[in-house]
Amino acid sequence: MMAATRPMLVPATAARGAVALDPVYRHMRDLVYKISGIFQLEEKLYLMVDACGRRMKQTGAVTPHQYWDLLTAHGSREAELRQLLNEITIGETCLFRSQSQLDALRKVILPEIVKDKSKQAIRRLRIWSAGCSTGEEPHTLAMNLMEESNGLLKDWTLEILATDLNDRSLEAAKAGVYGEYALRNTSEYYRQKYFMRAEENKLQVRPEVKNLINFTRLNLQDDSKMLFMKGVDMIFCCNVLIYFDETSKSKVINHFFSNLNFGGYFFLGAAESLMRLNNKFHLVHFPGTIGYWKPSLKSEKL
Amino acid sequence: MNTDITETIRERVRQIEVTPSIPAIFHPLLKLLNSPPDEVNLDEVIKVASYDSAIAAQCLRVASSPLFGQSRPPDSMKAAIISLGLRRVETIVLTCCMGQAFAPSNWVLDPTVFWRHSLGCAMVCRKFSEKIKAHDHEKAYMAGLLHDIGFIVNSMSFGEQFSKAVAAACEQQIPLHEAELQHMGFTHCETGRALGEAWNLSGELIQVIAYHHQPENSETGRGLVALVHLCDLLCRVRGLDYGYYESSKVDLVADPAWEILQKTHRELQDVDLARFTFELDEDVRGIYELVSTIFGSPRKN
Repeated sequence: MMAATRPMLVPATAARGAVALDPVYRHMRDLVYKISGIFQLEEKLYLMVDACGRRMKQTGAVTPHQYWDLLTAHGSREAELRQLLNEITIGETCLFRSQSQLDALRKVILPEIVKDKSKQAIRRLRIWSAGCSTGEEPHTLAMNLMEESNGLLKDWTLEILATDLNDRSLEAAKAGVYGEYALRNTSEYYRQKYFMRAEENKLQVRPEVKNLINFTRLNLQDDSKMLFMKGVDMIFCCNVLIYFDETSKSKVINHFFSNLNFGGYFFLGAAESLMRLNNKFHLVHFPGTIGYWKPSLKSEKL
Repeated sequence: MNTDITETIRERVRQIEVTPSIPAIFHPLLKLLNSPPDEVNLDEVIKVASYDSAIAAQCLRVASSPLFGQSRPPDSMKAAIISLGLRRVETIVLTCCMGQAFAPSNWVLDPTVFWRHSLGCAMVCRKFSEKIKAHDHEKAYMAGLLHDIGFIVNSMSFGEQFSKAVAAACEQQIPLHEAELQHMGFTHCETGRALGEAWNLSGELIQVIAYHHQPENSETGRGLVALVHLCDLLCRVRGLDYGYYESSKVDLVADPAWEILQKTHRELQDVDLARFTFELDEDVRGIYELVSTIFGSPRKN
């Protein structure tokens, strides 16, 4: 029998049971979760099947089982998993990527932080986008904070730290020029208010948005530099830690815990979780999203 | 609570009308569900479940949902019992009865939204019960399904006050029970308890209905009440809410209910809550589909 050169590219219905999926993909889903904390929903398993298909073509694996061997064999597994994670998260980045995180930020977290800090002399809010890539996340955060600057955050000093390891990504982030694909979730309201026309039908983020953001090169594994990141109210770190091994991941998360103010929050990507890597953070649910909370000093459960 | 209000609630509950064939199925079914499994007669369950052919047909359709563990529809009630087990079929019949019991008019809450939450909570309770290796997963399902029946009483018997409470909850983005207290002076926990007592539900279920917002106050069966409380919270932040944004932060592990449940179920400490949440998301679409199968087209009498 001829073996298929790549797994079937199955439509969404297949993942829901219309066509049987090779059970090895569920093993891959579990492996990806175990290593990276990213959970592929059953109905989105076809995306992982596609990602595996592209990797199989690159690696010459003929069947999903051969590809599974590559993913698990000593010697090839680390590099191959990294490549697969790249494929899985490719094209995910865009402005306004997670509306439920932004809702949690504006409807639940900001009112809470503002209330907690209302008695402090300095009203300053500091948010860190760790692993900001080409800047979609910090720009989205800045626009959302600006929306609150005449209300909840009136007279507050707002600061967004945006860091990445890659110099080229940082240059693009600073330029803040985006095409239609990156803007696919950006409403007309935000386009009009916070962007200006740029070449090739692209849009560029307005200077007043960029002024809130401080772009810096930072390696999350550089312990001495991580120690200096202090007084942060919220950290967003999406699809970055998935590439780290368990020890490094654990170390970075411990840094994040110290970097955050008491009562601060840490968000990962929408399908990502910390699993059991840290028991000091509290996993908290907001409508449609989960986050991690560093309990406030007055909390009994600290 | 004021005894006058309690009496008013009881009086209005007595006036609630259900579809005429429901009592003939519902009460014997509840009795069967409360009997020890070895005393249940298979033929009796089939007889009760088949009393109303529309409900029986619906049960077979529901039994074929992957959420109930079947991939193809069983062709008879007996076949369903053989493949799914007696207890699960009983809970399916109960679910279908609930779907047919109340007239489609006079609902303050959108009935689709109500049943999505109730059926969703039932499924999540069963899943959570399995996860922590509790001893009766179908009971957890029933408790989840019935925990909010007080909203039905509020809709049918206290419509005007309840409408105000619902509007306030939506506007202020607060939990419904808080808005009920502000605008009605009592909550669906009290009205649900009165309906549960009128229906002769078991003591454990009454405790769930009465205390699912304050499990620490329950008198007995606190573990089940705590389980429903946690699953209710989880549903409300995961697409099985009451159709409006609740500005809430839910810290399940720090909730007193978590500690209550942990006393009797040590497995709780091994639950990967993030993964459980993601897995719940996988069921949401199936729950929406089931709700339209069971509750989508209430029949006319």
